[in-house]
Amino acid sequence: MMTSLLDIKGLHVQYSTRKNIIRAVNGIDLKIDAGKTVGLVGETGAGKTTTALSIMRLISSPPGRISEGEILFQGKDLLKATEHDMRLIRSSEISMIFQDPMTALNPIMRIGQQIAEVIYQHGDCTKTEAMERSKEMLETVGIPAARGSEFPHQFSGGMKQRVVIAMALACNPKLLIADEPTTALDVTIQAQVLEMMSDLKEKFDTSMLLITHDLGIVAEICDEVVIMYAGEIVENGSLEHIFRDARHPYTKGLFASIPSLSKDVDRLTPIPGLMPDPANLPTGCKFHTRCPHATEDCANLKPSLVSVEPGHNVRCLRVERGEL
Amino acid sequence: MAELLRVENLKKYFKNPAGMLHAVDGVSFSINAGDTLGVVGESGCGKSTLGRVVIKLLEPTSGTIIFKGKDVTSVTKKEKKELRKKMQIIFQDPFSSLNPRLCVFDLIADPLKTYRLLGRAERQKKVFELMDMVGLARRFAYSYPHELDGGRRQRIGIARALSLDPEFIVCDEPVSALDVSIQAQILNVLQDLQQEKHLTYIFVTHDLSVVKHISTDVLVMYAGVMVEKAKTKELFATPLHPYTKALLSAIPVPDIDYKRQKVKLKGEISSPIEPKDECRFVNRCLYATEACRKKAPGYEEVLPDHFVACHNVREINNLMAEEADHLRG
Repeated sequence: MMTSLLDIKGLHVQYSTRKNIIRAVNGIDLKIDAGKTVGLVGETGAGKTTTALSIMRLISSPPGRISEGEILFQGKDLLKATEHDMRLIRSSEISMIFQDPMTALNPIMRIGQQIAEVIYQHGDCTKTEAMERSKEMLETVGIPAARGSEFPHQFSGGMKQRVVIAMALACNPKLLIADEPTTALDVTIQAQVLEMMSDLKEKFDTSMLLITHDLGIVAEICDEVVIMYAGEIVENGSLEHIFRDARHPYTKGLFASIPSLSKDVDRLTPIPGLMPDPANLPTGCKFHTRCPHATEDCANLKPSLVSVEPGHNVRCLRVERGEL
Repeated sequence: MAELLRVENLKKYFKNPAGMLHAVDGVSFSINAGDTLGVVGESGCGKSTLGRVVIKLLEPTSGTIIFKGKDVTSVTKKEKKELRKKMQIIFQDPFSSLNPRLCVFDLIADPLKTYRLLGRAERQKKVFELMDMVGLARRFAYSYPHELDGGRRQRIGIARALSLDPEFIVCDEPVSALDVSIQAQILNVLQDLQQEKHLTYIFVTHDLSVVKHISTDVLVMYAGVMVEKAKTKELFATPLHPYTKALLSAIPVPDIDYKRQKVKLKGEISSPIEPKDECRFVNRCLYATEACRKKAPGYEEVLPDHFVACHNVREINNLMAEEADHLRG
């Protein structure tokens, strides 16, 4: 079997504050195969962004610390790489699109130069060549090259996000991590950006980890889905597994919470309660405090991620026992 | 059903160094008591401004607002204060719309104090009743906003809006800042309260699935003008305006079996500063003709209770029907 492009094994990340330890990511196993788009779904505080930042080794330390696990990228553990190696890997091998395009750009540097800077830092080229490539990238994301001499404030939100995407793809990375790339955008602009991202992904043959809370976006562009809750993966599988045959009560709860455009629902069925405090996580199954099917065992025994069919895994005691 | 609010040709312009910004440019609609009007559009289309002008947080530039049969467009300060008891607003951002130095109890009691409505003991009782009503546990009464999460803060916002027993509430993106599971909780609270107290809502949002879920009627705005208004079911089943069609097809739907025709829009929203007398959507419209550049379209009742502002609405939709027939065989 071919090795995965990215293989995260047992990743634990915690942030220490003066008072307590916040366990943001608690033992994540995640694989991304070459050419695939994996959607990482979860609510605020589920540990999605922390996972992404760990791959990039951008967790600020202190307070953050990757306490356990390995992140294998093309078979090499990124957690053991030196800072010098990481600098080379970032953006030429793995690059990231951040959530907020409004703050991801340098306000006092021309757009074209910002893109060229990335290329110059990573490619063996002269500054002139980098500038040429920067213009090409702008055209690729649908912005006239002439506008490269403008500053970020002269661009609209959608265009800024295009620039950020151009920067991320400028060095032909093998893996693109997109952290809520369209959350700050309007729907019609979001549709444009998503379509462009899928096209570019094809064109540059990039794999993608798409972080989002929007299951609609997942349905449109992902191949595989990973659902996170309180720093753990509660369910993962192919698009069909998750959208046709979700098993975990949390995944089902998420679907029932969304007002549907395709069906008529009179009343939503929200998940009761709130996300647990990551400094004080519940024992047993982390979802048992909000789960409608929880039993006594759920509060005491820690469920593991179990395969229910090939490629479809669920972390739930009752599913494991065949009760749900 | 009785009409609660009627708005006629409402305009709100803002002065801007580059000229007049036409935030809301001639919007007319009416809402019956107990209904919910969803106002949708993208950022900068004037939907929040519309909500604020309607409850007179902003003074309209021109137009009329008739609330319960009475013209309230130009009222005195004193009348406005009385009017505020009947018309309330829930703001989008539960992180900045609450005074960080007041605890939950004081935040909810604040409107009651302002209007010197109840005695101390009754006020306390009322505040706790309101907290129960919106599903805020009484143990949070003396917590401060920063100690609470977004969902609970939004519940405070709702309790405050309800404290004066209003009949009409403008909900300005009340769930946009919340996670989906919490969003569903808040939407249910709003729906329950509406039934219980026979409230009328204007629900301003950019999220079309939320609008479909909660509204009886929908008004679609684009660059300050209203492009389409219809009953929710009808609007989602048969959108007539090219912008509405594109908007509906742009939403990612969390259902892999849901197939639909995709309409792609090019470009971005045009500037609302000193707009020309043309259709505001003309530069992005797939069906734009000469006529669209000559004059801004007026509203037309194309089907019963279904208003559209588009010169070519009939041609476009016949065309589509023919195309569909042709495709079918």
